[in-house]
Amino acid sequence: MTEQEASTMMTPEEVSTVVGDYKAGWHDPENSTIRFDNGLSEQVVRDISALKDEPEWMTEFRVKAYRHYEKRPMPTWGNMSLLEQIDFDNICYFLRSGEGTETNWDDVPEDIRNTFQKLGIPEAEQKWLSGVTAQYESEAVYHSIREDLVKQGVIFLDMDSGLREYPELVKKWFCSVIPYSDNKFSALNTAVWSGGSFIYVPKGVHVEMPVQAYFRINAKNMGQFERTLIIADEGSSIHYVEGCTAPTYSSDSLHSAVVELIALPGAYIRYSTVQNWSANVYNLVTKRGIAHENATIEWVDGNLGSKLTMKYPSVILKGEGAHAEVISVAYSGKGQHQDTGAKIHHLASNTTSKILSKSISKDGGRGSYRGLVTVSAKAENCKVNVVCDALILDEESRSDTYPTMEVANSTARCEHEASVSKVSDEQLFYLMSRGHAENEALAMIVNGFFEPFTRELPMEYAVELNHLMALEMEGSIG
Amino acid sequence: MDAASQYLSLDEPHRANHLWRYSPWRKVHPTGKVGEIPTSLASPTLTLTSLSGGVVLAGISLEKSSGANQVLHHADAVTESFLKAITTDSAFTLRVENNFIPSEPIFLDIDTGDSPCAVHLTLDVGRHCEFELITQIDGAAPWTGLLRSGRIGEGTILNDVVIGHTDAGTFLRVDNISIGRDAQVKTGTVSSGSERTKADLRYRMGEIGGHLRVLGSILASDKMHLDHHVEIHHDAPETFSRLEWHSACGGKSRTVGTGMLRIVDGAHGADASQLFQNLLLSKGAKADSIPELEVSEHNVVGCGHGTASGPVDEDQMFYLESRGFDTDQARDTLVAAFLNSTLIAMGSETMHEWLTNHLQEELADLSS
Repeated sequence: MTEQEASTMMTPEEVSTVVGDYKAGWHDPENSTIRFDNGLSEQVVRDISALKDEPEWMTEFRVKAYRHYEKRPMPTWGNMSLLEQIDFDNICYFLRSGEGTETNWDDVPEDIRNTFQKLGIPEAEQKWLSGVTAQYESEAVYHSIREDLVKQGVIFLDMDSGLREYPELVKKWFCSVIPYSDNKFSALNTAVWSGGSFIYVPKGVHVEMPVQAYFRINAKNMGQFERTLIIADEGSSIHYVEGCTAPTYSSDSLHSAVVELIALPGAYIRYSTVQNWSANVYNLVTKRGIAHENATIEWVDGNLGSKLTMKYPSVILKGEGAHAEVISVAYSGKGQHQDTGAKIHHLASNTTSKILSKSISKDGGRGSYRGLVTVSAKAENCKVNVVCDALILDEESRSDTYPTMEVANSTARCEHEASVSKVSDEQLFYLMSRGHAENEALAMIVNGFFEPFTRELPMEYAVELNHLMALEMEGSIG
Repeated sequence: MDAASQYLSLDEPHRANHLWRYSPWRKVHPTGKVGEIPTSLASPTLTLTSLSGGVVLAGISLEKSSGANQVLHHADAVTESFLKAITTDSAFTLRVENNFIPSEPIFLDIDTGDSPCAVHLTLDVGRHCEFELITQIDGAAPWTGLLRSGRIGEGTILNDVVIGHTDAGTFLRVDNISIGRDAQVKTGTVSSGSERTKADLRYRMGEIGGHLRVLGSILASDKMHLDHHVEIHHDAPETFSRLEWHSACGGKSRTVGTGMLRIVDGAHGADASQLFQNLLLSKGAKADSIPELEVSEHNVVGCGHGTASGPVDEDQMFYLESRGFDTDQARDTLVAAFLNSTLIAMGSETMHEWLTNHLQEELADLSS
């Protein structure tokens, strides 16, 4: 360990102070095969593209995005004081840890394999997944997909391989839902993206079991900029599950992903996420889907950890009869700000949407719901339902709600409701009078509060989330 | 620094700020040139009477004053400094003595005339009063500015209704009212005139036990653009607030309702909610709602908000039509009932009767 590394490492006590029981906070020794110097320039962008031997159009796309990123100011909303603390010059924009993407866990470098084993990924793959991508730092180190899906024409690759093997398909859809000029962080991602998933589901094919991607940051001051593109062709369906963790360092890391979903007529995409970042990670993600006629897009979005999360999964309801659903939970602990929400744009008639957002703030954490629903003048008979509930568990914490509803069609029916409350003394008393300790009672109430979210997750994720929440609730009372 | 210097030192507010998102300051400013402070604005004519037109009872008076040095809590710097700067010669105080309890509502008429004008009205309401105040702004001025500031005294029960009833033009209204200890205030807004209204209504519950209901009946027709921002600050413990805002939009009108409910750390026992409801009556009508909530106190009774936008309910239409109403009658009845549900809550039966009689013409416009 170098002197500099030693100076940024935290003692176990410091780690405990910052992250409490964050159990994914270990890190492996950094064995990178390629690590770029910290900092960003046009040359870094070109070097990333050259290293990946990308087609010329992608290199130019990256460069345009980089120039836009340079010009674009930081957002003037969210948590500006935390955003201003991001030191973009002290972030590594590309780090390769393996020799390539393996299809057998035995071929993955041992330390990386051990990391994913600790996270339970190979076990989950055997039990209940159709395919897995495991990304470590900037690139995928492992990838698999079930044979029968390949035979049906399903493409599930890491994004780098997707660009190599299906350049025309990628070129057609890349940045079609989220242009690089959408916001500063989508521009940054487009400039330096690496890894992520590329999925194409052919017409009428239903992928019965979920596919999963797991994103792990290991190095300190790391920037992870995965890019995910999912295209569900007419009448097809897929459930994609994403998990994220990172080690705990005293200096900050940046996770800035872009996810684009395209649900063609009659298709169904569910995108489930449980992001459990350590408290030194800035999580600034742009996620958006476009739903054509009678298509459905669902975001099931769980946010734990991180220093600052700004994430608002969005759906553009472009085709008549399309449907969108966003179910999200956010837990804000000490020093954390979860600024999350959802955006739905009703552009076509007879489209429907539903947003359910739940947040908990504890130990001085701040949870914010920020949402936008628009109904365009031409979209007849749209229906919108938005519900936000927040629990504040102690005197230091805070909860905010910033919903916006813009309705330009007189046939639309739009509802929004929100409430902020504390844990009811009566509920606690009821459970304690039946023999539960205070912490157990509180954990049960919190799990019940999150239940509309957890019931939408694959069972293994739901069990894990309940367990995580129980750990977070330890020491909450008294 | 005086108000004019302060205004000139400020940047033009950015549209990313929700307050200015739908009605940018340059469209509300009297000349559109945000870097200038007009000096030629007139002072409107203020007349204080009882509602029946009789002699104003003893204990309430309207006098010329200076409001430039008043400290306003939680105010928007741009509108505060601008309105103070243009009303240095047009400032009045409505002084209400302690224990003022008149037998009928008080009526304050603000006649704008036909030239751009502005007024700063300070409410200095004593303790333990119990009365109703109707403030009507009418006239044909192309631009009208109204700054209402002040404090409602301890234990006072006040029903305060402001009617924006100008013929056309732009109406900029800023309220900055503090609610005293155990005071019970209902404040109603009826907005039915002007082509463009920008209202920024802020209420501070800075003393224990304050009780506030904010009510709005907004009638937008033709090409009206009516933008109301309501902020309620719970800065003290055991305070209560409710906001109910009903907007009916016909023609190609647009209504905007933005709210901010802020509960500070230490305001334990706060009980607050806000509800925006929009009725869209025509194809070209638009309604935007942003009910925001910031809660920094964990020990609250409850804080919530809601919005609903939609057309006239088909089941209710069917019900009335099945009982002999024709389609237009049924629709008009439902629109009137929708607006009446907040009008009726604004004050006494006398006040309600006066308001409904006064708004017949506007309701007819809305339906057409």
